[in-house]
Amino acid sequence: MSDNTASDTPVVYCQDVQRIYQQESVPVYALRGANLTITAGEFVSLAGPSGSGKSTLLNVIGGLDGFDAGEVTVGGTSLGALNASELAQMRLEKVGFVFQAYNLIPVLSARENVEFILQLQGVSSQERQERANSALQSLGLGDLGDRRPGELSGGQQQRVAIARAIVTEPVLLLADEPTANLDSKTTSELLEVLQQLNQQQGMTIVTATHDPIVMSYTSRQVAMMDGEIHQDSAMAS
Amino acid sequence: MLGTLTLLFNLSLRNIVRYRRRNFFLFAAIAVAVGGTTLSNSLIRGWQVDMLETAVSGLSGHIKMQAPGFADDPSLQRAFSASTNVVLDDQLPVAGIAKRINLPAVISSERETRGVAMIGIDPADEAISLYRDFEVSGETLAGPDDGRLLIGKALAETLQTKIGRRVVMIVEGADGKSRERGYRIAGVFDSPTNWPEEALVFTGLQALQDTLATVGLDNPITELSVVLVSDEDRPSAAEKLRDQHPQLVVKDWRQMQPQIAEIVDVVDATMVIWFILIMSALTFGLVNTLIATVMQRTQELGMLRALGMNKQLLLIQVVMECVGIMVVGVIAGLMLGVLLVFGLGEGIDLSAFSESAEAFGMSTFLKPVLTVEDLLLFGGLSMLVGLFASFFPARRALKISPLMAMNR
Ligand SMILES: Nc1ncnc2c1ncn2[C@@H]1O[C@H](COP(=O)(O)OP(=O)(O)OP(=O)(O)O)[C@@H](O)[C@H]1O
Ligand SMILES: [Mg+2]
Repeated sequence: MSDNTASDTPVVYCQDVQRIYQQESVPVYALRGANLTITAGEFVSLAGPSGSGKSTLLNVIGGLDGFDAGEVTVGGTSLGALNASELAQMRLEKVGFVFQAYNLIPVLSARENVEFILQLQGVSSQERQERANSALQSLGLGDLGDRRPGELSGGQQQRVAIARAIVTEPVLLLADEPTANLDSKTTSELLEVLQQLNQQQGMTIVTATHDPIVMSYTSRQVAMMDGEIHQDSAMAS
Repeated sequence: MLGTLTLLFNLSLRNIVRYRRRNFFLFAAIAVAVGGTTLSNSLIRGWQVDMLETAVSGLSGHIKMQAPGFADDPSLQRAFSASTNVVLDDQLPVAGIAKRINLPAVISSERETRGVAMIGIDPADEAISLYRDFEVSGETLAGPDDGRLLIGKALAETLQTKIGRRVVMIVEGADGKSRERGYRIAGVFDSPTNWPEEALVFTGLQALQDTLATVGLDNPITELSVVLVSDEDRPSAAEKLRDQHPQLVVKDWRQMQPQIAEIVDVVDATMVIWFILIMSALTFGLVNTLIATVMQRTQELGMLRALGMNKQLLLIQVVMECVGIMVVGVIAGLMLGVLLVFGLGEGIDLSAFSESAEAFGMSTFLKPVLTVEDLLLFGGLSMLVGLFASFFPARRALKISPLMAMNR
């Protein structure tokens, strides 16, 4: 795996990406030639109507789903040639995920959830604790480390998920509708957290959303339609 | 790697606790099944041990030596000398040896006449035979020179005689002629099984030899019965005795009582089959619940895959969870089984069914026997069943893709 993260290499590079699902032997074109390049430090929102391919694109970029044509590169690594376990390794090392729901392991405390992924990476126990604590601290969760997910509010849970996503220092943070289950106040709080992460630590973030409020926090707005990039604020300017 | 396994173990344990309600019923089902089979198998084992003991203690011993032809034509003319040496090495420890004259005889009181076996014994030697279990009223035989009789309670009732009375015995002497002689009844014995009470009459060996005169043999006997410390030594001991005494017929209890030998052999297989039957019934429930546990957590497990956990680790986690449930249930079950067996204590009184029980060579009391080997065997088999059952949820877990973390 080449690991080229020089500043001129885009963090995400998608070229004519196609994803075709077979639904009862009828092909469904989830992505029909998507082109997208994201450079380090961008905070990108993916908007578009339901079924336009937002989630599919995020999953392809995150190595959760395969693709049928085109080229996808993440942090300099071309995903097309990787097998399932290499993709798992790529996710573990390079990508942080925040999902809409079922983000956390219910039987582990918030701290253990954050440490869990470091443990999978084989980080030593001492270093794990330090990194998990500072990640929780930076998200204002210092006091809640011992609680289990069930004992946390939806917003707190999502912040733990973000702490877990960034504790591995990934090149890219992917969030698929992270605010869909939150009320508007908590949504704003979470978006501020993401914005700070982007602005202060230079974390590259891509988030899929329906919500116009989300777009107001991002530095670049991309709209999808029928499996293609329809509008891109970066191209417009 | 060890760290990762600890992590997965921890995760599995917590998941078991997490579904404690459902798992409790699973534990209970496993525990009852394992405990119940442990109990029933201990009774079967007890039956087997009892049959073996009955077979060995019923005068035959583990090994019996007789003169050739005696089995077909039991008479004193086919006697051999009691000076016959029995030499076995230290590897084949002997519990005891009994030398007897055992001849068909007729016993008569004033009222009745019956055919019996007249057995001349040295009472001191008979701690290895059913003789030791007799409850004697009146007096026991004092020694080999005691010329009185010890007869069974059932026989005494049939003959309508009692302790202190005289009866007449007719036995064939060494010269082939019948000897008719009056005997005094010293005591009446009560035996755990009925047949000795009806069929056996004991007297002192030396006294009987004197009565029947000899065949020019020093100290003649018709049988020499050897009881070993362990039945496992029987084949090699028999082999040795055959080499030492080519002039005698050496038979072990399996040859003398082939039906019982067959039943004893079948018991081992029966126990394993019985256990497997119960466990397979249990496996259906187990597999069902375990699959449900995995299906219910599709998104959660998908999330683990999405985060970068590979298939092998996911598989290990699911198998650990299943085996964990099994281990707890089986240990609880074995403990339950041990408790039940101890609760049964002395055993089950079968005297109500004693006639049919005796037909199977059993005594009227069924005492459970629990061996460490059996416990380990049940434990081991249960673990195998658990591993087998975990295959199905594991296969299901392998189908979980990282995409299933998504909420669709
Ligand atoms: N596993 C699948 N099998 C079949 N069709 C699928 C699958 N996943 C997605 N699709 C289809 O692909 C298209 C794009 O789906 P996708 O989930 O990417 O849309 P989306 O923009 O995320 O929608 P939403 O806003 O509702 O989340 C849809 O038509 C969907 O039905
Ligand atoms: Mg979506």
